[in-house]
Amino acid sequence: MKNFREIEQLSAYLDGQLKASEAARLESRLKSDPELASVLSDLRATRGILGKLPKRKAPRNFTLTRKMVGLKPPLPRTYPLFRLATVFSTFMLMLSFTVNAMSPYVSFSAPAPAYGFGGGGGDELSVGGGCEGPCPEEAAATEAPMLELEPPAAAEEGALPAPEPQMDTMQAPKEAGSESEYQNQAMAEEEAQRNAQPVEAPISMLWQIIFLVIGILSGGLMWFMRRSALKKWQ
Amino acid sequence: MDETALIQSAQQGDLDAFNTLILHYQDTVFNTALRILGDEDQAQDAAQEAFISAFHSITSFRGGSFKAWIMRTVTNACYDELRRQKRRPTTPLEPETNDGEEMDSPKWLADSSMTPDQKAEADELEHAIQHCLDALPTEFRSVVVLADIQGMDYSEVAAAAHVPLGTIKSRLARARLRLRECLRSFKELLPASFRLEGENTL
Repeated sequence: MKNFREIEQLSAYLDGQLKASEAARLESRLKSDPELASVLSDLRATRGILGKLPKRKAPRNFTLTRKMVGLKPPLPRTYPLFRLATVFSTFMLMLSFTVNAMSPYVSFSAPAPAYGFGGGGGDELSVGGGCEGPCPEEAAATEAPMLELEPPAAAEEGALPAPEPQMDTMQAPKEAGSESEYQNQAMAEEEAQRNAQPVEAPISMLWQIIFLVIGILSGGLMWFMRRSALKKWQ
Repeated sequence: MDETALIQSAQQGDLDAFNTLILHYQDTVFNTALRILGDEDQAQDAAQEAFISAFHSITSFRGGSFKAWIMRTVTNACYDELRRQKRRPTTPLEPETNDGEEMDSPKWLADSSMTPDQKAEADELEHAIQHCLDALPTEFRSVVVLADIQGMDYSEVAAAAHVPLGTIKSRLARARLRLRECLRSFKELLPASFRLEGENTL
């Protein structure tokens, strides 16, 4: 039995992988060693049999489709910009709707007073809201009683000074009662007026329209870009 | 076909160029997979997987023999398939006797169901050779398929199998030795010009 080193040499010799000097040495040994020559013959026959194996034709084409390799059409460089614009405008539009919907319940311009928690949201808004100077309604409310109080003052200068103290004493509770009644009425009116007034939205409709237009335009452009890229690609 | 230009185009993502390369190599790739796996359906799957994988990694091809590179891809796909089979075997690798015991390989190879007429058929010879190939360890099988069936030289086989040249020499010698032993069982099938001689020499 030949050792593996010899078999390896014979195998390499068959393939022409031995150096010229090694090949010459082996050839001289083959002449003198019939056993070695027989092994070489066997290896050659084995190699020949394998080479004789019929070459099969591929039963089908293995060509690849774009779907198989997950290829997508090349999009223009500006495409991500429009995608960002669409996402941003959609987000802003949703945010604006949310903020406007929540505006009657939450004060955005000034910190809410402690008593505002838990009820009377409308008052909160009016407390924190809007008018920096004295509000016209408030001014009217405070001025109105003053105007009403003027006639008694003018009456002091009139012809009946004598019964004045009596009248004053007699009418004082009555006048005081009507004054507070009037104030209450004015406050109620003011409140009713406030409640009837529509609450101004923190994010104006103009911005919402701008966001909507940006979203629609950029989304439409994205769709157009994808479609034309796909057409060109196909 | 300007292979270099096609490869460069494919490296830039040109699928049509890569498909032209596929059409050129698909028979070789399929035959290699068939001889390593010994099953036509599995060979088809491995060939397809190999081409998909080759397309994805074609940018890693840095010149040299493209055939060796694509053969390396298909060899790897075949190894994956064989590993999958090992994990989830669907059919027994060895036939069983009526007692449920596994038959030994030589018995299996010298299939008693083969009649002399069938043995004379070329497809029977092919069948016999395939059985002998299947009996080889995977790393020997791939080397002998690439060198003796696909006719690649040692350097190409070394590049495809990703092993040193010395290892290729050694594996090829061992594989041929084992095949020689195995093919003796089918000597009556072999053409006269390829009859194995010196049966007592080893």
